[in-house]
Amino acid sequence: MSTVLSKPRFTGARVTRMEDDRLLKGQGKYLDDIAVPGMFEIAFVRSTRAAAKILSIDTSAAKALPGVVAVMTADDCDFLMKTDEYEIAQHVLARDEVRFVGELIVAVIAKDRYIAEDAAELVSVAYAAIPALMSMEVAVSPDSRRVHGHRANAFAHWDKKTEGYDEAFASAPHHAKARFVTHRQTGVAMETRGCAAMPDPASGRLTVYVSHQSPHQFRTDLITVMGLEENQVRVVVPEVGGAFGIKAMFYPEYVVVTHAARVLGRAVKWISDRVECLLSDCHARDNIHDIKAAFTADGHIIAVRDRVIGDTGAYPIMGFPGAVGEAGWATNMLTGPYKIPHVSITVDCVFSNKAPVGAYRGVGGPVGAQVQEGIVELVARQLGMDSVDVRRVNLIQNEDFPYTTATGNVYDPGSYVQSLEDALRLIGYESFRKEQAAARARGEYLGIGICGFVEPSAGVSSEAGSTPYEAATIRLEPSGKVTAAVGLGPSGQGHETTMAQLIADELGIEVADIVVLHGDTDSAPFGGGTGGSRSATIGGGAALKAARDMKGKLAHLAGHLLEAAQEDIELVGGQAQVAGVPSRGIAIAELARIAYTDVSKLPDDMQPGLEVVARYRPAQKVTYSNGTHIAKVAVDIETGLVKVLDYVAVNDCGVLINPMIVEGQIHGGVAQGIGSAFLEELRYDEDGQLLTTSLSDYLLPTATDVPPMRVEHIVTPSGNDGGFKGMGEGSLIAAPPALANAVTDALSSFGVLVTEIPVLPQHIVQWTQGKETVLS
Amino acid sequence: MKPAAFAYRRATSVAEAVAWLGEDPDAKVIAGGQSLIPLMNFRLSRPDSLIDIMHIEGLTDVQVRGDKLHLGTLLRHEALSQHETVLRTCPVLAEAAGNVGHWAIRNRGTLGGSLAHADPASELPAACVALGATFHLASTQGTRHVAARDFYLGFLTTAMEPGELLVGVEVPLHSEVRYGFSEIARRPGDFALAGAFVELSSQQQGAVTWFGIGGGPERRPVVLTADRADRARVWREALQSVEMLDEDAYRIQAAMTVAERAYDQAVGRNC
Amino acid sequence: MSTTTTSQTMSISLRVNGEERTLPVEPRWSLADVLRRELGLTGTHIGCEQGVCGACTVLVDGTPQRSCLMFAVQAQGCELTTIEGVTPERGLSALQQAFSKEHALQCGFCTPAMVLTATALLAQNPHPSEAEVREALSGNICRCTGYQSIVEAVMSAAKEA
Repeated sequence: MSTVLSKPRFTGARVTRMEDDRLLKGQGKYLDDIAVPGMFEIAFVRSTRAAAKILSIDTSAAKALPGVVAVMTADDCDFLMKTDEYEIAQHVLARDEVRFVGELIVAVIAKDRYIAEDAAELVSVAYAAIPALMSMEVAVSPDSRRVHGHRANAFAHWDKKTEGYDEAFASAPHHAKARFVTHRQTGVAMETRGCAAMPDPASGRLTVYVSHQSPHQFRTDLITVMGLEENQVRVVVPEVGGAFGIKAMFYPEYVVVTHAARVLGRAVKWISDRVECLLSDCHARDNIHDIKAAFTADGHIIAVRDRVIGDTGAYPIMGFPGAVGEAGWATNMLTGPYKIPHVSITVDCVFSNKAPVGAYRGVGGPVGAQVQEGIVELVARQLGMDSVDVRRVNLIQNEDFPYTTATGNVYDPGSYVQSLEDALRLIGYESFRKEQAAARARGEYLGIGICGFVEPSAGVSSEAGSTPYEAATIRLEPSGKVTAAVGLGPSGQGHETTMAQLIADELGIEVADIVVLHGDTDSAPFGGGTGGSRSATIGGGAALKAARDMKGKLAHLAGHLLEAAQEDIELVGGQAQVAGVPSRGIAIAELARIAYTDVSKLPDDMQPGLEVVARYRPAQKVTYSNGTHIAKVAVDIETGLVKVLDYVAVNDCGVLINPMIVEGQIHGGVAQGIGSAFLEELRYDEDGQLLTTSLSDYLLPTATDVPPMRVEHIVTPSGNDGGFKGMGEGSLIAAPPALANAVTDALSSFGVLVTEIPVLPQHIVQWTQGKETVLS
Repeated sequence: MKPAAFAYRRATSVAEAVAWLGEDPDAKVIAGGQSLIPLMNFRLSRPDSLIDIMHIEGLTDVQVRGDKLHLGTLLRHEALSQHETVLRTCPVLAEAAGNVGHWAIRNRGTLGGSLAHADPASELPAACVALGATFHLASTQGTRHVAARDFYLGFLTTAMEPGELLVGVEVPLHSEVRYGFSEIARRPGDFALAGAFVELSSQQQGAVTWFGIGGGPERRPVVLTADRADRARVWREALQSVEMLDEDAYRIQAAMTVAERAYDQAVGRNC
Repeated sequence: MSTTTTSQTMSISLRVNGEERTLPVEPRWSLADVLRRELGLTGTHIGCEQGVCGACTVLVDGTPQRSCLMFAVQAQGCELTTIEGVTPERGLSALQQAFSKEHALQCGFCTPAMVLTATALLAQNPHPSEAEVREALSGNICRCTGYQSIVEAVMSAAKEA
């Protein structure tokens, strides 16, 4: 089968979304909109100590409050998070010891959340505090106090060195070093996490509603921890109001909710409030990279040493220990789009008394790109070169593909050089230096920052799980309408539209005639959810495969009815016809009617009904999208505030299913990048109290912080079916480094090189106040 | 984040409100609620009773009487910032009100609420101190008048006595004084990291009133010349007498910046 | 003086989307919770309960306000409009259509609040500049779209009107 669709109507088109109608009307049903008569609600008592033994818990006053149905401690809800891959040792409700502020201790189940919170206040927990371990640099030392008494603080350690590294590093004429830090951040979806479990009103079977990125992975995790039977549990993911990797993790609250529902035989719901979100959603980033770079006089980067410490938090997350993800992806992608032949990497992921680290969009990509582009700026600064020229010297050229990186990645073809040159043109780089000089003469500080990124997508595993394939079912209903279902877990990416676009093109029907179901394990085929930028590629591949299977059946039936060869049948305009002869055709609706209700007309080798299920396993283990982002900023050195004046993104994700949706993903990731670069930081004090427990402290970008952006597309198809590459994370990978570098450029006359994000007003003032500028 | 339970009553007149306040010292007044309700949702504030004054008539007037601008305390920030009379007679006050939070907050929050709540980072208490306003406080004992400059006593603390209700603000209109205003926030609409009002009278006599840097509005009379370096010395000296929120070099820099920018605006203004 | 008050309910009358509804509420129930749970109007979403994110925005007497920062009891006597109240019986309003055309929504959680805020803006200022649109929407946080498409939708709806 050809991988390129001939004359597609919908693939590549800016089709408006099927999801929009209900969402614009306020009819989307998110987790908290699910209400069942007699449903109870949970409020949790969470640890107020970062590290402590639990001496006693008194729930008597809470239990006595009118409206309270049950109060549970670890004795009443005794489950451990578990995986075969590594030891977690986390009780779902803390038993004996707590290890981070926000850890669950007690669950109060009551008639409504107001009463549950009243009762939660009446629970008293007696702690014996232990000194909190809050510094990852301390945790690396074997003498540090053990967060988990029976095992060392080093959760993971690995070394990786290319052959010949030592000699290459030593013999290079130039060296530079820097420490790169990205502080703790998190995804903060607008809809907080939530879960509701109940015996199904009709069948009595356990149904669990959860705001999540992968219904099947969630079900697998739930039955693993709780010892349930897989076919007795139905998981339903309703409308999800943003996820960003945070909702791909498996959290202890979900076990408590499910257990309470089973024990009480009633519907029980928990919805996180925003304080709980910041305390206990998985955190992210929080790495230190100590870098040494070796390079030549003309800017070739020969060798990079990266010594990484990643803060895992108090427990490794079940299924995705995020510090390993953050450090792993950052170092794996350390060389980015550049031909850096040698690397020496050492990673330590350590425990601390902070919240567990998991997956947040980009997963190590943003930090890796920050380091990679920071090295470029460092080299440029030291050699007195324009950093654009350093990039040009090091970029992987088109003739180098497939290119094997120093870390062992094999890059499929991309457009690294072209995306840089296009982005420079878009931002107006040629005239910028003059503009910058004129501004500096007026005491204004403008800067441009660049990031070329490579995004691994559609890999065999991601934060959504390790399912190296995706599934799609297509059913033609007796009336001819199409019901499809996929194992994806969208949270705004528009899969109901993009998958329908692909199917519509294959079957020659309208997008509006297709409903794409997802999220319900009763109807969605076992798949891998949404994460790791896998959906367009692997999900799209599955949709194409299923559609082609269906097309084959329809062509077979039509050929039989029209007395023509199956190979001569095409599907166009809602009918199956002899190729090029519309008058010799049968409407798809008619084929469906026959297949279900007029079955004597079927050929002997065809059974009644029109349903297919297909699973697509991509030919490539991973495919790399790429692009270049450039940010232009104005830095006010009196206030320390940074204004983003202009932003361009050139993006290559292979064949685009829907350019409108691709651009939306880019805009959103860049906005999160502005947050990451300038606003967002989860701050703990030395006792382990989280200081940023509200959206007044954890600042998110608003409409006045994000400028209009310009996006251009390049298409270098992947080798996968359809030619798609994933792109959901590239924008958050590239934006923070581009923005940080823009500040570096703006303040270069002060000798500033940004290596730590977020960049705060006090940093800028500190770097520039009273300093003499060096006019270069 | 659900608040603790409370009883609720809606007052239909000032007399009724102060009578209830007099009877129940644990009761709290609620007007727009934009400052109070977040505290209640976090359970940092747990009044056992709320007296809703939002529907009392006659507290939203704006009137010029002689050389004074009279403002009702239930005026919402959005209305205050757009009011033709305020824009004409006291534009710096309109500008201050227009900087409070975001549009949705300004549509509900009230002048009296902001003045009584006394958040050190809020614009309107400092505006009233800079303008030399007088507050009218009603209680079952009658009405008393307190100068804004005597009203703010420290972090979230005012000269309001138990049982009192803020019912009016009187702003003297000095056509010969020029005012400027500037604030710095992390994002537009956020609480100020530092803000300042600057007054310029004749002969370089002036004053700066900072907010967001200490426990409340901090007004200092100063002599302001046309020399920028000289002014920098003046700001720095004035700051030395302010008990700042922290030792942060950034906050001092921010305070100097807003004072200077407020001065620039005052100089550029006609009234 | 008084002992802790528990679940004292009051009967209130709310005028929502042009319809008068009378119902018993506890004073401490937020307007957002009452709209959602008692009146089944789940288009109003809760995102923070401290007045920062704007997802709970409804129109009170025509102006956008945060329903998480109002107790339902305070809303008696006000005209309340939720997303359900600006949606026509059939199809989408011109503004809603502009949102869809410009891809001004992804997960949809902030969307009802954006639509209501934009509705109020255009009623007051039929031809806003881009800066005015951004300023008016600055109290509504979106984590998905990066705002550009939302601004374009509002500008486009203003032009069409």
